[in-house]
Amino acid sequence: MKYMTSCAVMALLAAANVAQAQDGYFAGKTVDVVVPFGQGGATYVSAKFLEPFFEKHLPGNPEVSVIDRPGGGSILGANWFQQNAKDDGTTLLFTTSSTTTPFVLGQNGVEYKLSDYRVAYSHPFSSVAYVSSDISVNSAAEIKNANEQLRYGGISAAASDLPSLLSFEVLDLDVNSILGFNGRGPVRLAFEQGELNLDYQFTPVYLTQVVPSVEAGSAVPLWTGGSMEGGVLKARDSIAPELPSVYEVYEDMNGTPPSGVEWDAFQAIASITYAYGLTAYAHPDTPQEVLDLYAAAVEAINADPEFQKASQEVTNGARLNAGPETEQAIKAALSPSQEVKDYLHTLLTEKFGVRF
Amino acid sequence: MFEHAMSALSDLFEPMRLLVLFGGMLVGMVFGMLPGLGGVAAVSILLPFIYYLDDYSGLAMLLGAVSIVYTSDTITSVLLGAPGSPASAPTAIEGYALAKKGRAARALGVGFLASMVGGLVGATVLFVAIPVAGPIVLLLSTPELFMFAVVGLVFASSMIGENLAKGLAAACLGLFLGAVGPAQAAADFRFTFGQVYLLDGFSLTIVALGMFGVAEVITMLSVGGGISGEAMKVAGWKDGFRDFWVNKWLVIRSAIIGVFGGFVPAVGASASTWVAYGHAIRSTKDKSQFGKGEIRGIAAAEGANNATVISDLVPTVLFSVPGGPAAAIFLGALFSFGYYPGPRMITEHPDLMFLMVWSVALTSVVGAAICFAISPALAKLTRIPFGIIAAPLILIMVIGAYQSTSTMGDIFMLFALGALGWVMKHADWPRAPALVGFVLAKPMEQYFWLTNQIHGWSWVTRPGVLIIASVIIIPLVLGGIRKYRARKDAVPVADANAEKAMGGGHNHSVGLFMAVLASFAFVYGAWEMMGFNPASRLFPSLAIGPGIGLSLWLVYRGLREYRPDLGRDASELTILAALIFYGVAVWAIGITVPTALLLAWMLLIRAKMRLWTGLIYGTVIFVFIQVLFGLLRGDAPIGALFNIG
Repeated sequence: MKYMTSCAVMALLAAANVAQAQDGYFAGKTVDVVVPFGQGGATYVSAKFLEPFFEKHLPGNPEVSVIDRPGGGSILGANWFQQNAKDDGTTLLFTTSSTTTPFVLGQNGVEYKLSDYRVAYSHPFSSVAYVSSDISVNSAAEIKNANEQLRYGGISAAASDLPSLLSFEVLDLDVNSILGFNGRGPVRLAFEQGELNLDYQFTPVYLTQVVPSVEAGSAVPLWTGGSMEGGVLKARDSIAPELPSVYEVYEDMNGTPPSGVEWDAFQAIASITYAYGLTAYAHPDTPQEVLDLYAAAVEAINADPEFQKASQEVTNGARLNAGPETEQAIKAALSPSQEVKDYLHTLLTEKFGVRF
Repeated sequence: MFEHAMSALSDLFEPMRLLVLFGGMLVGMVFGMLPGLGGVAAVSILLPFIYYLDDYSGLAMLLGAVSIVYTSDTITSVLLGAPGSPASAPTAIEGYALAKKGRAARALGVGFLASMVGGLVGATVLFVAIPVAGPIVLLLSTPELFMFAVVGLVFASSMIGENLAKGLAAACLGLFLGAVGPAQAAADFRFTFGQVYLLDGFSLTIVALGMFGVAEVITMLSVGGGISGEAMKVAGWKDGFRDFWVNKWLVIRSAIIGVFGGFVPAVGASASTWVAYGHAIRSTKDKSQFGKGEIRGIAAAEGANNATVISDLVPTVLFSVPGGPAAAIFLGALFSFGYYPGPRMITEHPDLMFLMVWSVALTSVVGAAICFAISPALAKLTRIPFGIIAAPLILIMVIGAYQSTSTMGDIFMLFALGALGWVMKHADWPRAPALVGFVLAKPMEQYFWLTNQIHGWSWVTRPGVLIIASVIIIPLVLGGIRKYRARKDAVPVADANAEKAMGGGHNHSVGLFMAVLASFAFVYGAWEMMGFNPASRLFPSLAIGPGIGLSLWLVYRGLREYRPDLGRDASELTILAALIFYGVAVWAIGITVPTALLLAWMLLIRAKMRLWTGLIYGTVIFVFIQVLFGLLRGDAPIGALFNIG
């Protein structure tokens, strides 16, 4: 009860603040960006990368402070956010599919109500599939002619590897998925050592680690997860515009566009993993005015030449997203149909031995 | 190459950069000495500051901190017997035993010098990393990594101690603790009791702090106002230098073990330290002094842990795969400065690579010198009654533990494992094999599973695997031949019993309790295990199967030898209860009031300080603890029932 009252008071205060000083709403405030992973991880580094730009472009130039809360495969940090987030837009949960997938699957221990949250901003986290040049596959179309059993390495089926595994289902590939690695770094080492021959890596790692192997002739890039176009995950990704999306690869192979529950499941999970891979969530009661401020800041950041230069280096020029359309797409992906949920449960239980 | 090395050296010798390098070093030194806080805490506390510096200075500051932690932690381990960081647990066992015999200077001297050599070996490896280490890292595929873990476990068997049943049961218990959390082989969460906290398994820091640190502090508090024995003297470094020189090859071999530990991604310094310690035991003819103050144990452990943290940087800069937890943060810092480590790093930024080499080399030497200089002064602190030192120590451990996830679970787990450590200590169950089992459980299972999936059984004949296996087999064969020639009866494998030297002493009631507790745990584990996928059942069953048999046997023996002697340790038991009560109180009403009360109880009642001095000292500690919480950006626990403070 006490909690409810204090919430109501805070909401009132927040609303008063918004009305009072719209242009300098964040003046003198600190925006806590909670990252439910350890320092030095990809999410933490991305949050740090965005930090100065939000400090510069949010009205009132708040101090942005990135806080790491690792544990429970990101569930602990997200649960903490559920209990402690302020509803004035000064606490954000900046996270990846490691948080969204357990929510969508309804796993034990998830206390956060992700689909109720508001979306402050989002950044794509593109991913590129590539194979070893030893298996005589030169393009996506030849993937089924590999002269070796395809071996993919991952961490765990029910977390960040899910979209990759679903893409194999969509494309109907016979892949031996070896799960149980420590992280994507060790997976890449095993790929370089020749123990694995099919891998997915996210943008910055792809650009700095895989591209040199491609240039040296030891790796062949095949496709990307794709990016959203009119609500379908079919467009090419700006990280590697020369590569087709999974959607296109399917079309090439089968002559028809992908459909059915496999595709729906892939699109739901892959869009929150890739297209909206890094998303900053806010408390459900955050006033719309504050979210509009974030959307305006995102627009200003995207137009900032400094940001453009930095993002060209790190992500091949990816842009931030915000606003109603982005929020809608994320919320849709967070609440897939019962059919998709059932499919995911059956697949994970029967093929990967996951228990719910 | 040479001109890059020289230009990097002159870059580093700019006054501002040297200043921040040594600034980072001092922070690392302090955090190395604080039990439970180590490289990770030091680097994360420095991280916000590096953004005010230029790239070379910022990175030098972090390297200064990283490369000193495993030198200065020797001081705490030797003087107080609580490991300054998990990787110096062997030093705590041997060094503290030596210190109690009045030979602290010897232990510290060897520890510092071995750390320095370890650091320099690490720096050399980083230097040659440029052409050589890359291919070596690539040669270490999953089968080779699995063999490394097996070698570690075989070496660890040297630590079983005099009582075979208890030693093996302790090792099984450690492996069992290591199985808690996500199974690598299939999507099972094992033994988590539905607690999100346990989804990641136990944190190494908390296990090491609980089992060794808390148990020692309880003894310190029970001694209370008194000083056990005479004050520790740190004088006469000569013996230390001589011991170091005698054991120089052991130090170098251990440093090389440490380097390989660093190459393996995500295996920290603890694993390689124990492996090096096991190597020291195996390569020493007279094993009777291990656990009672064997200088070779210190030389090996300290040589290895420093080499590991530095060679952790090799996979970090060559492949962007952090070799250990502190290296992971360093990698993040590299990203923030716009460096993307990878195959191109060496050709694109040779100066930066050499700057790193020089930073760690310089810190290793200067840091060891400073440790030599400050140790005599720090040793005087041990003349202060133990109770007075224990009070801040226990709170620092709480903060150290709280760094893992910043939830109450960390604090509960610290005291729960502390209770386990205390019980094991008094039940005469050796804790070293338990910790080794815990450290090696995860990599062993993971690499076994990955290897078998990728290679089937063909991995057994890989050249790398055979070479590593020869490390186990050749000494066994040679030993067998020697024994055969000597025609002696079998030499007992039993080497050392760390616990006796650490002032444990067997309490029969506690012994029986421990055996019953372990039996329950193992039987429960066996029952829950039935519900797992077969792949995730295999590994825990290797620990639980023998564990049940051993612990039931120990129950039987405990019943036969039972004597009602619980009262002997009643005073320590009260302290344990008080600490657990403190944990519960923090959960219920927040950290402020329970901490103040615990401090008052420890200082005024246990340490028998005078009211005013006690109050002033207590206030200073209290403020210090609050500041430390603030610096580490952890919000202190808030009461779950109602919050005061």
